[in-house]
Amino acid sequence: MDMETLLSYEWSMMAPEFTILIIATVLSLVDLFADKKIDRKLFGWFGAAGIGIALFFLFSQIGHEPAMILANTYRLDAFSLSFKILLLIGALLVLLMGVSYEAKGELLYRGEFYYLLMSALLGAMMMASSADLITLFVGLELLSISSYILAGTRKKSTQSNEAAMKYVINGGISSAFTLFGLSYIYGLTGSTNLADISREISNIAPENGLVLLSVAFILTFVGLAFKISTVPFQMWAPDVYQGAPIPVTVFLSVVSKTAGFVIILRVLLSVFPFAQGLEANTSLLQSMMIFISVLAGITMIAGNTVALKQRNIKRLFAYSSIAHAGYLLVPFVAFSEMMFESMWFYLAAYLLMNIGAFAVIQVMSEHSHSEDISIFAGLFYRRPWMAVMMTIFLLSLAGIPGTAGFIGKLNIFIGALFSDPSRYILAAVMMGTTVISYFYYFGVMAQMFMRPSGSAVPIRMPVGVTIAMVFCAAGTITLGLFPGVVLDFFQTQFNFAEMFY
Amino acid sequence: MLENAWLIPLFPLLSFLLLLFFGKQWKEMSSHVGIGFTGVSFLLSVIVLFTQMANGSGGAEMVWLTIGQLEFRFGVVVTPLNALMLVIVSLVSFLVHIYSKGYMHSDERLTTFYSYLGLFTFAMLALVISPNLLQLYIFWELVGVGSFLLIGFYFYKEEAKAAAKKAFIMTRIGDVGLLIGMILLFWQVGSLEFNDIFTAVGGGEVPEGLLTLIAILIFVGAVGKSGQFPLHTWLPDAMEGPTPVSALIHAATMVAAGVYLVAALFPVFEASPAAMTVVAVVGGFTAIFAATIGLVQTDIKRVLAYSTVSQLGYMMMALGAAGYVAGVFHLMTHAFFKALLFLAAGSVIHAVHNQNIEKMGGLWTKMRITGPVFLIGTLAISGVPLFSGFFSKDEILLATWYDGRYGLFIIGLVAAFFTAFYMFRLFFMVFTGEHRSEVTEVRESPRSMTIPMVVLAFLAAFSGYINTPWFGTFLGDWLAGDSEFLPFEHHEGPVWVMMAASLIAFAGIGLAYLIYYKKSLQRDFLSSHMPATYTLVFNKYFIDEFYQYTVEYAARAVGYLGSFIEKYIVEVIVAAVSGVTRAAGSLGSKLQSGQVQTYGAIAFIGLAILVFLVVWTGGYL
Repeated sequence: MDMETLLSYEWSMMAPEFTILIIATVLSLVDLFADKKIDRKLFGWFGAAGIGIALFFLFSQIGHEPAMILANTYRLDAFSLSFKILLLIGALLVLLMGVSYEAKGELLYRGEFYYLLMSALLGAMMMASSADLITLFVGLELLSISSYILAGTRKKSTQSNEAAMKYVINGGISSAFTLFGLSYIYGLTGSTNLADISREISNIAPENGLVLLSVAFILTFVGLAFKISTVPFQMWAPDVYQGAPIPVTVFLSVVSKTAGFVIILRVLLSVFPFAQGLEANTSLLQSMMIFISVLAGITMIAGNTVALKQRNIKRLFAYSSIAHAGYLLVPFVAFSEMMFESMWFYLAAYLLMNIGAFAVIQVMSEHSHSEDISIFAGLFYRRPWMAVMMTIFLLSLAGIPGTAGFIGKLNIFIGALFSDPSRYILAAVMMGTTVISYFYYFGVMAQMFMRPSGSAVPIRMPVGVTIAMVFCAAGTITLGLFPGVVLDFFQTQFNFAEMFY
Repeated sequence: MLENAWLIPLFPLLSFLLLLFFGKQWKEMSSHVGIGFTGVSFLLSVIVLFTQMANGSGGAEMVWLTIGQLEFRFGVVVTPLNALMLVIVSLVSFLVHIYSKGYMHSDERLTTFYSYLGLFTFAMLALVISPNLLQLYIFWELVGVGSFLLIGFYFYKEEAKAAAKKAFIMTRIGDVGLLIGMILLFWQVGSLEFNDIFTAVGGGEVPEGLLTLIAILIFVGAVGKSGQFPLHTWLPDAMEGPTPVSALIHAATMVAAGVYLVAALFPVFEASPAAMTVVAVVGGFTAIFAATIGLVQTDIKRVLAYSTVSQLGYMMMALGAAGYVAGVFHLMTHAFFKALLFLAAGSVIHAVHNQNIEKMGGLWTKMRITGPVFLIGTLAISGVPLFSGFFSKDEILLATWYDGRYGLFIIGLVAAFFTAFYMFRLFFMVFTGEHRSEVTEVRESPRSMTIPMVVLAFLAAFSGYINTPWFGTFLGDWLAGDSEFLPFEHHEGPVWVMMAASLIAFAGIGLAYLIYYKKSLQRDFLSSHMPATYTLVFNKYFIDEFYQYTVEYAARAVGYLGSFIEKYIVEVIVAAVSGVTRAAGSLGSKLQSGQVQTYGAIAFIGLAILVFLVVWTGGYL
């Protein structure tokens, strides 16, 4: 590649990524040379401003024609744009929570937290925009490695160290699976470029490569299931979520999970709809859906039932997040025309309600130095507004009408019933497990409203986490009452047919 | 203005929210907040009414949610019927808000009371401007919640708690009918918008038999809400709530929602003669049935409650006899005079601290405002010429006559006679004769209570003149005017109908006068001759007992079977479900050993199983 081609690229397409890259670089340099006495919390606000700028660039790109640069490895289309919005907003809220996170001197290297968060975000954004297996994998690893370190930032805490260790090992296994699967795809098509692969793959004769391609599908999916914490790769989540500092837990359960869904959609949808399936006139993707559907069902059941037994609020939300990943697989399995819309909306709703709930958890667990569910006892009588907001998040997670979670579930549900073929069994499992989830969500509510509070020490509400909380509560209600506002924007601005080559 | 009609319910909602969050600090001020916000609603309603009259119907709608091909909308619509309902509801609510300031002034939970009133008013106003059945249904249930909260306001009283529960459950029974009807309608028409429904029904898209079923199911919802036979028993019990609530919810607005529902969906009913007959017959039966019970009750509020049931039956009868205007007209006049009667009854109760009419008497000279306004209300409901009730009742009788339902026509006349009789019985026993109350110093109620009564008395006396055979049928022309779905013909009635109705009313009043004022007839001259009938009527035809016994015996008979099923089938299933859920949970947590090698192994085994299955089902083994 010569200089001329390099300069001819439309670099402005990557403006959001560059912004984040610059912020991460500057922060790490400043952290290295600046006086140790300078409060590193400033980094958080600096980072938040940077994400704001990146969001501005992102919104200005809406409506851009689909385009590729860097030898067809970086792709700008409706898919990458719409999901990058979620990634950036999620990371922004995590930053706000991080600024308020104290953790009693356990967070020794606060500066690290901010620039690692930025590099992880950069990895996630690259995943959303990659059109090549190599860059996809590099993005994935950038996100993963940053996350491993983030999980261990509470250096003096054994729990945090344990979490980081488990995360690294499991992450390693998952990367191995994923790479193994991708290598089959490369071997069968001779290219790492998704556009080329999608062209080549339809030429593979069924009798030659089909079994290998099926195995590649399963390997890739299981490997990537690690990122979205679904069966069979969900076991790490509770341990890591519990041990990691709360802002990191939120990052893993929201931003990293969104990135996981992004890469799954990107890889699987670029490759497998074009391959010949097991029966005539079907694609390989359709043939494989039955397996994904079983995994989604088991994920929903496992997540929701095991959550019933949890007393630790972070573990409880870890299982809840596994269950939500299961719900999110339902539209993928149904594969109706509403798939992108349903998944995007549910991810947006999940982002708001989950970050909001964790913001409340962070305030309460810092206040009482415990993570037991009983820290919520009598919250309504001490901080009524916070209790009301937590109630909104819990109702939304449970999918009660009037909240974003309800609209998200309704969308998924109708999509699953009206798809062809109708996925009514999966829809029924979703209904049933949703009912099970009421028990543990309402258990938290019962604590807030019906238990007397033990202490009268005023609860401190730092500004960053409060902003995140209020934003999430307002968003959850707005999306619940006026879903049309967002859905209309989505339908008019993003044309997902662009995703295919 | 019409597209901004959504502002009207917003103000009471605001009042509800403000009082909910800041009420504790405001205390006494809460009543002013409530009164102020509903006052604004009332003003807006009047503006909307006049705009509608000047410019015709209108509204605004937007898509709320699109899922695939399905579209859910919300918005507002203002037709003559809706505009009229808006004014009635907001006016009565406004007056009740003012009245409650005096009536509830010593109650500690005044703030809570006003916030509930705000919630109810919001739901009721939103209900009457809903442009589709789904939105209507949401507010229909919300109205039920408001009613539940207000009936059970004195929750420390066992009766109040029981009554609140009963009201909620019995109306819910009706709501199930409504919901099923709605689902069937949606299935047939593919939309719940009123206009789409009417177009489809008018175009004959819905099969006749199914249409009848849908109409009857929807009517079941109205039966529950409007206290029609056989779901009427909750309404008298609902009198356990504070009296202003009875005036607002259980006389003027919520119970009229059933009538409103039938009126709003009138084209659907009209398309099915069988459904119309059901509506008319149930209405007529309820009218006379409840009137006979009203004859012998001794609790002032219960007499009024049975009278309400009876009058609602009257309205249903009118609608069933194709008397759309007659039904809506009576809804309006009834809202005014019945709210007035309840408020006046509240004023009496406020003065003598008692609800038993045997322990009242001679209050005319002591309550110089309450007495006359109560008399006006009584004259209006009895159908005495020149008062509002006279014109609306006359319209109903004409409608039944022209529809060829002569049996119902006679029932209407007899019910009118009973009504005149028991209402004047009430009046004479409360306001004339000697003083029988234990409270010696009876005082007139404060100004905040009397002013709303005077306003309502004015309306009860004169509101009938907007639709008379003498000065023009303005209301009728307007109501059915700009709708393509409502055929309207006014019947120039034979004069004798009007004469007969007046005579009947005077006969009832005369009989009450002879027995309870002149005492020239023994009070028990009838009941002593017919002890069995008296007992039957006094005990409200034993309907409550009937429900109790049938439920009890049936329950006992089915009980053994039930407990068997419960013990050996249901509980086993429940135990199995919860057991399996728990077991899955335990198994899951056991696997969660904290050992990272286990996690890796599980992922690997899972992968291996999947690969095996793929290869196996793919037929490569």
